[in-house]
Amino acid sequence: MIKIKNLSKIYPLGALGVSALKNINLTVATSQFVAIAGASGSGKSTLLNVIGSVEQPTTGIVQIDEKDISRLSNDDVAHLRARRIGFVFQTFNLLPTLTAYENVEFPMHLIHTPAAERHDRVLSLLNQVGLERFSHHKPSQLSGGQRQRVAIARALANSPSVILADEPTANVDRTTGIEIIQLLKALNQKMGVTLLLATHDPSIMQQAGRVVELLDGQIVKDSQ
Amino acid sequence: MIFKLALRNIFRNRSRTAITLLAIGSGCVAIQLAGGFIEDTIHQASENFIRERIGHIRIYRKGFLEKGLLHPFDYLIEDPLPLMTQIKSIAHVRYLAPRLAFSGLLSSGDTTTACLAEGIDPAVETELKAATHMEAGTFLDGQDVHILVGKGLAKAMAASVGDAVVLVTNTRRGALNASDAVIQGTFGTLDKAFDDQAIRLPLSMAQKLLRTGGVQTILVFLDQTGRTDEVTQAIGELIQNQHLDYDVKPWYSLEEADYVVKAIRFYQRIFFVLKGIIFIVVMLSVVNTMNMAVLERIGEIGTLMALGTTRQQVMRLFVLEGLFLGLLGGFAGCLVGVILACIITKIGIPMPEAPGSTATWVAHIAIVPGLLATAFMSAMIMALVSSVFPAMKAAQLETAEALRHNL
Repeated sequence: MIKIKNLSKIYPLGALGVSALKNINLTVATSQFVAIAGASGSGKSTLLNVIGSVEQPTTGIVQIDEKDISRLSNDDVAHLRARRIGFVFQTFNLLPTLTAYENVEFPMHLIHTPAAERHDRVLSLLNQVGLERFSHHKPSQLSGGQRQRVAIARALANSPSVILADEPTANVDRTTGIEIIQLLKALNQKMGVTLLLATHDPSIMQQAGRVVELLDGQIVKDSQ
Repeated sequence: MIFKLALRNIFRNRSRTAITLLAIGSGCVAIQLAGGFIEDTIHQASENFIRERIGHIRIYRKGFLEKGLLHPFDYLIEDPLPLMTQIKSIAHVRYLAPRLAFSGLLSSGDTTTACLAEGIDPAVETELKAATHMEAGTFLDGQDVHILVGKGLAKAMAASVGDAVVLVTNTRRGALNASDAVIQGTFGTLDKAFDDQAIRLPLSMAQKLLRTGGVQTILVFLDQTGRTDEVTQAIGELIQNQHLDYDVKPWYSLEEADYVVKAIRFYQRIFFVLKGIIFIVVMLSVVNTMNMAVLERIGEIGTLMALGTTRQQVMRLFVLEGLFLGLLGGFAGCLVGVILACIITKIGIPMPEAPGSTATWVAHIAIVPGLLATAFMSAMIMALVSSVFPAMKAAQLETAEALRHNL
């Protein structure tokens, strides 16, 4: 479960700063698929970054599974990201020198998963995203859709509590985008992982169980 | 995994890695060639000096080194044979050479010049015979009338091989004595001042002239110069155990070796400074490469940290990349350095006369295991040190800010 209380984020700029998030209060139940909707600059990515502890809030609290993650040390943050949070980026962000298999395996190394377990889990995840045949391909040898599938498998590597997907279909064609969203939705239902997905595409919002709409850093609509 | 990632990352931008490896390798080669040249110069200078002048170890009667200059005949080793027999059995001792030096006058009829004479045993002085550069004539054949004259002295006297000369000196008790001699050859050493006043004659001829059976010093020649300290200690223990009245001195502690020892230190300091310059040049190149690698991969560093990589692991990644560059550059540099050293040594570097010398010589590049290790370690250290600052920079990046570079 994710609980956000009185969250605000101000970027220092000039005398006043720029307010990216204003007094956000949000609770997301475990296994929920929530679309964070809004136009560019509405604060979607900042909200995901703060939930993913990539950025610290200016004020307020973020809790994941009852644990406050908003004021952790650098090492604790790294530990949290490795175990509890999976990221799916708009630009895929695969490590270019590693194969698909190694990219999925990488987060498992960070938490010292035993070799045999790693091997089985990587193959299982690649199988679930339909890329078992491409396990030894480098990212440069894969299409955009395939890369994003590898990134999804990587995000699930350490069985996280939550997956944060920031416009995961922005760099793929429409058909592939639909496939990606269906894959994420299927994994969300199958594995029970909470899914927060930032988008401004109405067709993707329709797939989500809940839509939270942001405007100028504030929640203006919550379908729940 | 960080290890694997680091290894693959260095081959990502092959041309940049090649340039960095070239810089590290060149530094390694430069250290080897400069060091090998200086090692060879030092080796040739000291070995020549040891072989043609001073020996590896010298044994004197106690008191000679302090008072022998004023009273050279009061501290003679009267019966050197028993001691020489014992020392001969010590490991690494090749042979022993007794010597007797004195000052005198050398007259060729028209000209009479002061000279420093040294009585040697031509039958045992094989190192001296091999090392002596004969300008004209041949080395001593043991006949008591044949002498060798330094080329500067011969020139000053306008004397040449075959000329009859008279050697005049004081006997041990102070009486004047003279001996007829024939110049068997003229010789040159690396020391011009020595060549301008030195003569060498058979030990037996010197002993007759001075009316003594003793010698001033016994020179010990070894199979390797590196064994000098070990054998000096063994001889010292032998002398101490038998309560003998002798001093034993390694070559480098003798007053005669002062110039050579100082020259060695001078060259070593030059090499030290040279190494420092090479270090700085190579480090600047590697820092530049590592900085470029960090700048190009800011987005990727953001991804690594978003996945849960700690700042220490990010730092380790870049330091490891530096380490791999150092390993590869060091290995390649050492290999190329050895090949170049062999080629240069085969050709030889013609060198002009050293200061105070009249002889030209040919320098080589010595291949010394210690120097190879220094060059390799230097490459590693240069690459490691150069990667620390960029690695720290990478580890201090803000994740969110770094991730924005992917867009």
